[in-house]
Order: sequence, then C-alpha cells, then structure tokens
Amino acid sequence: MSSTTVGVVGSGTMGSGIAQVVAQNGFNVLLFDIKEEIVIESLTRMRTRLEKLVEKGKILRDELEEINKRIQTSTDLSDMRVCQFVIEAAPEKLSIKKDIFQQLDKYCSEETILATNTSSLSITEIGSITRRPERVAGMHFFNPVPLMPLVEVIRGVITEEETVKALVQFAKALRKIPVTCEDTPGFIVNRIARPFYNEALKIHGERLATIEQIDRIMKKEGKFRMGPFELQDLIGIDINFSTTESVHQGFFGEERFRPHYYQQRMMQSGKLGRKAGVGYYNYDN
Amino acid sequence: MTTKLRVSVVGDGSLTESIIMGLKTRGHDVVSGNEIKKQEKDIDLVIETTNLDLDRKKNNLQEIEPFIGQDVLILSTCLGVTATETASWLKYPSRLVGFAAFAPWEGAELIEVAPALQTNSTYLDHTRQFFQLLGKEIEIVDDEVGLVFPRILSLIINEAVFALTEGIASAEDIDIAMTKGTNYPMGPLAWADEIGIDDVYAVLAGLYRNLGEDRYRPAPKLRKMVHAGWLGKKSGKGFYNYKIEE
Repeated sequence: MSSTTVGVVGSGTMGSGIAQVVAQNGFNVLLFDIKEEIVIESLTRMRTRLEKLVEKGKILRDELEEINKRIQTSTDLSDMRVCQFVIEAAPEKLSIKKDIFQQLDKYCSEETILATNTSSLSITEIGSITRRPERVAGMHFFNPVPLMPLVEVIRGVITEEETVKALVQFAKALRKIPVTCEDTPGFIVNRIARPFYNEALKIHGERLATIEQIDRIMKKEGKFRMGPFELQDLIGIDINFSTTESVHQGFFGEERFRPHYYQQRMMQSGKLGRKAGVGYYNYDN
Repeated sequence: MTTKLRVSVVGDGSLTESIIMGLKTRGHDVVSGNEIKKQEKDIDLVIETTNLDLDRKKNNLQEIEPFIGQDVLILSTCLGVTATETASWLKYPSRLVGFAAFAPWEGAELIEVAPALQTNSTYLDHTRQFFQLLGKEIEIVDDEVGLVFPRILSLIINEAVFALTEGIASAEDIDIAMTKGTNYPMGPLAWADEIGIDDVYAVLAGLYRNLGEDRYRPAPKLRKMVHAGWLGKKSGKGFYNYKIEE
C-alpha cells in the first residue's frame, strides 16, 4: 500500500481534502495545480488542518511528519505518470475536465485508473475522450472530505466492473464508506436530496409556512440535523441552486427538479448564505 | 379542557396505535367509535386518522357526528386530504382542525396543525391544549395536503423509489448514501418502511390529486406495494424484510 502513489488533480477545497485523506491513510500523494503558488497555498492550509488534528490529539506528531513526507506537489501533469490512481478534482467545467483527461490518458500507464470527483457531469462523456473509458469512473467525495464518510463510486456506461471494484476497495482503504451507482444526473445524494430544498422553497413560496417554521418543523418533527434553509445558507445558495439546475437539465427539464424562482432571486441578490454574512438568515456578528 | 379526557380515536392510519398508546399512558380514556354510538357517552374529542381511503374517512366522520355534541373538537389527519375538504363533509365544520405527523410519532417533539378555512379559532386553542397534554409542541401552518414535514419527506422517499426502480443503486446503497453523504436521520427507504408505505403513498396521491403537478406523481412501485400489502415494518415487508414479533 505504501508504494502506491495517488495523483490528485486540482488543489481547491475538494482536491486538498481528498489529498489529505489519501495521505492520512498511508498512500503517497502527488497534488497538482496549474500554478506553484496555488498548490503551495493549498498545502499550507492542509498542514494547518493537520496541525489542529495533532493539537486535538486525533493524530500523533510523529504521524504528522510521516503524512507530510508522503505529500508531493506538481504543476506538470506529466508527473502523474508514476500514479496508480488519479483523482481529478478540477473546476466543474466539461472543457477543463476533458483537457485534463486527454493529457492524463497520454501520460499514465494504461493500467492506471482515472477517476473524476465531478458531482454533475457525465462520467461516460469524460471517459469517452480517453482511450481507456473502461478504466474511467466517478469517485464523488462530499464536503468537507476529511469529515464526510461517503464516497459515491460511479459506473460510466463503458466502465469495467474491475475498475469499480478497485475504487470501492480504494475508498475502503481511505476508511470511507463507498456506495456504487450508475452514471445518472445527480447520482444518488444530489438527486434524492433535491426535494428537501425544492419542496421547502415551494411550500414557502405558497406561503403555507415561514422559513423559520419549516426549519423548526424539519428538525423537531423530522429529526433532520439542520432545516432546509439553514442548510442552504451553509452550503451556499448559489451552489445549491446550480446543483438543482444541473439535475433539472440532466433530466431534460423533468418537472420534479424545476428550480424555484425565489432561490434564483436570492442568488441574484448576493445573499448567498453564511459566506456572504446573510442568506435566508442573518449572520452578522 | 379537563385533565382527564375521553377521546374517540377512529380510522386506520399508521398513527392510530401511537395516539391510543400516548393517550392511555397519560391516563386518558379512549373510546371506540362503536362505543360512542351505543353508549351515548359524552366525549371531549374525536381524532380521525384515515389517510388512504377517503370514502372511509368521510363515512367515519359522518357516522360519528350525530352522536357527539356540535361543539366537540374533531382533529383529523391531513396526510391525504386537506382539513378544508374534510370539514366540508361535516354538518358543523367549524370544529374541525387538521394535523399531520408521520408514525412513529413518539420521538417527535412537535406536531403540525392546520386550521381548515371553516375552522373557528377557539378550536385551535383547544388543539394546542390537547397536544400539550400529550407532551407535544404545535406549529400552526396553512392547510395543504401533507403540511410541511410529511410533504417534504414523502417527496424525498418518492425520488428514492424512482432511483431504485431505475436501477441506479440498491436500496441499501441509497439509504447509506443519504445518511452518510448528507446526514439524514434515516435512509429514505428504511424510513418509508418505518412510517408505513400506505401513509407515504396517501400524501403523494393527495398532493397529485389536489395540485395536479407532475412533481407529485407517485412512483408506480409505491402504488404496487400498497396493493400488495407491502406496507413496511408493520406488515413484515416493505423495501426490506422484517420479522414480525409475537
């Protein structure tokens, strides 16, 4: 296991979380981003997170040093040739991902499994631009990656069963809980969670209950940890809206997934939730 | 309202047993519909829980109404029908108040209550006092099928059933994904088994009938499960198999 090197392409929130979890579980990591300063900054933030884990007693200082030693950075995609697995966590734009996969396909051995952390694009489409679509699959982590236990392993139309099995094993080695699913819009979680937000917005839109009431009811009657409006504020109303839009489009405008105009208005107003200091609720200190 | 109540619970919704149990453990008398018709006892309150068979719900209410005082509060579940439509079946509609909860309701701190358009607000006060006696807060919302929590959860379950029937993942993986990927208290399919498939279907069918939008169309598998009597835990079979105790 310790000889396995995992490439992580993209060092944003998801990429750096994935790299951290991979390194914490004994694998070597090669973390890529397009610019030296971006990847170094990402690594610095990861070290701060790991340092906090040491302070909390979750990991030993010796372990921290070992983890740090296992992480290398790169700004040259051809360095990924040494990897047995590559997980792409670049921005959610098909053109960017296609470009990355074409390059990875060229540099990596044909045995290497190429996984994408996309939450909204088609695994089949990304796989089809490589010469190894049978060794391309989705590996969808949840934010924050070090804390959320789930990984959706997504089978494209051409993905081989061996690839799925290898990624399921790999997810278990990361001490995550893998589930497998077909390449369909929103996969499992982002699809089935849509009504939690969308129907809450519709009930509020019809003035059947207030935002505060809906959140209170879902927590005290339904035992959800957070209400649908509080949770949108936490996720970011813009992010939540774009997930709904992408599932809606993925199903060719299926009525069940139609976004609510009020959510779009919230997004347009810049009241995006906690990160903006205001969303459905106020977060001014 | 006196502290020892005589309550008649009629109907066959999944909540019925929980409600009767809750009343009895708090020392209230539970009187069956037949007892009321025979004994002509005074009662304080009627609770009607039928959700799926609306003709039966209407019959239950119309049969009992002549035997109770015209100002006796009637609490009626609005999982499959609005409080307003239910009140329209009565001779004295202003005493009807709707409420919604899913079984098992023991863990719920809060129950949603909705007045019908016809409801006289004094009955809302009675309703609040009654639920307080049972240890529940209430939240008063507007009247529409399924109110808030049962409506939202039924739609989540419906989407999970569509995903299951489309073969995108197994029932187990769907439930794991929703508890581990987004912190749901239960996976939607196991949750449906816990609630009763008939009550979940009643909400979806009621919303679809009343609002006419495709987003409420019940997944065909749910309808078939109701017909087959696969109602979840209480019948030993739903999305999962259960051993029936006793």
